[in-house]
Amino acid sequence: MSVALRTDREGGHATLVPTGSFDLSHATEVTQAVSDAEASLNGCRSVDVDLTQLDRIDGAGAVLLARLLDRLEADGRQASVKGDNPEATRLIALYRERRTILPAPQIRTTNPLTRIGAVVAQLPGKANDAFDFIGRCAVAIPKAAVTPRSVDWRSLPSLMQEIGADALPVTSAANLVVGIIIGLLGISELGRFGANSYVPELVVVAHFRELGPLVTAIVVAGRSGAGLASKMATMKVSEEIDALRSMGFDPVRWLVLPRCLALAVTVPLLTWVGDLLALVGGLVATVVMTDMTPHAYMEGTLKAITASNLLTGLIKAPFLALAIGLIACGQGLLTRGGAAAVGARTTTAVVLAIFSTIVISALFTLFFALMGA
Amino acid sequence: MPSRPHITVDDLRIGYGTRVLMEHTTFQVERGTIFAILGGSGCGKSSLLRHLIGLERQQAGRIDIDGVGEPSQYEGVPPFGVLFQSGALFSSLTLAENLWLPLNRWTPMRGATAHELVQAKLDLVGLGAFAEYLPGEISGGMKKRAGVARALVLEADLLFFDEPSAGLDPISAVELDQLIITLSRDLGITVVIVTHELPSIFLVADNCIVLDKAAKGIVAQGDPRKLRDESEIPFVHAFFTRSSYDVTANPGG
Ligand SMILES: Nc1ncnc2c1ncn2[C@@H]1O[C@H](COP(=O)(O)OP(=O)(O)OP(=O)(O)O)[C@@H](O)[C@H]1O
Ligand SMILES: [Mg+2]
Repeated sequence: MSVALRTDREGGHATLVPTGSFDLSHATEVTQAVSDAEASLNGCRSVDVDLTQLDRIDGAGAVLLARLLDRLEADGRQASVKGDNPEATRLIALYRERRTILPAPQIRTTNPLTRIGAVVAQLPGKANDAFDFIGRCAVAIPKAAVTPRSVDWRSLPSLMQEIGADALPVTSAANLVVGIIIGLLGISELGRFGANSYVPELVVVAHFRELGPLVTAIVVAGRSGAGLASKMATMKVSEEIDALRSMGFDPVRWLVLPRCLALAVTVPLLTWVGDLLALVGGLVATVVMTDMTPHAYMEGTLKAITASNLLTGLIKAPFLALAIGLIACGQGLLTRGGAAAVGARTTTAVVLAIFSTIVISALFTLFFALMGA
Repeated sequence: MPSRPHITVDDLRIGYGTRVLMEHTTFQVERGTIFAILGGSGCGKSSLLRHLIGLERQQAGRIDIDGVGEPSQYEGVPPFGVLFQSGALFSSLTLAENLWLPLNRWTPMRGATAHELVQAKLDLVGLGAFAEYLPGEISGGMKKRAGVARALVLEADLLFFDEPSAGLDPISAVELDQLIITLSRDLGITVVIVTHELPSIFLVADNCIVLDKAAKGIVAQGDPRKLRDESEIPFVHAFFTRSSYDVTANPGG
């Protein structure tokens, strides 16, 4: 069925006669017909649209005709609908009535300097959010001590299972591989000086002091950080956090505290297990690649394990764990919007968590170096 | 009006797993009418709607939409528009983009024309000024109205509205009712609507079914005004007169 908009002119008056189906499936043709007809209306003072010959009309057709009439009137012409077609008339009237006149859209500035400025201007606000959150967490601890029932202790075992026990295979594997890498590196570098017997010490020092806590924390940040952040973000966008608040719970005490605690307990344990596996990795690498016996390797290792080496590493672990927990939960709680915001927040949380783990590790190293430990 | 009903439901049984929500359910929806599905909270109105639009497979019985057949088997241009109870707007898209999405997928409309159609639909529900807002930035009632606009955008001749006026102020609710009446009377669209709003039921609905959780099915059907005045069934009577047989006293579950 063809669509047409015929123009009948008598001097300054014109009658537009739409014929055919003015509906969504013909909207392209209708748009074309409307703009053609509009172009032929030069010099007309009044325009009628005669709806009698219309075969079919739906919302889309009505919109296009309604907007044509609106434009004609805006040009100072008289425009009206006639013809015996009450349905179409009412429909067009409805679309004309319920029209919002929008202010001209604001043009977004795309000047790169402006954008940099806008990003920088957000930084104090973001830092403020972060400090505010840390402050609330700090306040939550004494409050939780006073009212232990405001903390969801019951979730603690399952959280430790999720965050700690379930992460064990992957942190162990990562530490084992890193142990092997340090071993191989030691063999190739120290071996040139015939100092293979120092490989066990290298593995202990490098892994216990630096890489062990770091590797474990990065794996936990990626795994549990993402899990925590997305869980909290989902709870936030589905108004569960608001519901908690309305029932008098403090989400920081109820949700964040147990999660941080679970992390602070399990990450040192994971680190410790990881340290052991790194030793195994170093042992395997050395025994396979050189003529050192396992027994000699163990002796070298035992000599190198001092309280200082072990503790400088392990002492970092709970701090790294806290950073991961605070960042993941804090980012989650900052979420605003819908499902898409959850994904974006989770990504931010993981990136921030991994980055801050590295920075905190470096700060500890610097501190110990200055202290001469 | 063609004599064939727009929707035919025959001896339908629906439920989840082993739990049966409704059985021996038979009704028809005539073309161009407004059909209300009524019943207490949790009696399975939304579930029935999900079956009618083919999101869920029935356990037994037959659903037939004229020109479409079994809705769960249908593929192609959606033959109906749906407003979900929660609005179900895509949270990462603006309202305009939410409406534009089906238009872009199923019609050749692009550019200015598409924009004009989308804007007109938003205007129709009074959201013209919020086209660039994200669903997270508008109120609950506005989400409902945006969902209505999205349901209208493909100009389908069958619409399913799950509680369209829940959460709306009386004025917006009446405007929405008027819109539904216009759609049905002037465009001949069939509207199936789940609602609890009595004034709206009496104003818009040509026909209705009343579901009851205990009876696992339809307890009454017909013209809601007649049911209100004539029904002998205590549940139906209480429902329409808002009397003490409190339908909300047994919340869903
Ligand atoms: N996906 C599902 N899986 C299992 N059970 C479900 C599911 N969806 C709904 N139900 C159950 O079906 C019953 C009816 O739910 P439904 O959402 O259809 O109720 P309703 O009549 O729309 O209620 P309301 O008026 O509160 O919206 C409820 O008891 C619910 O527990
Ligand atoms: Mg429902």
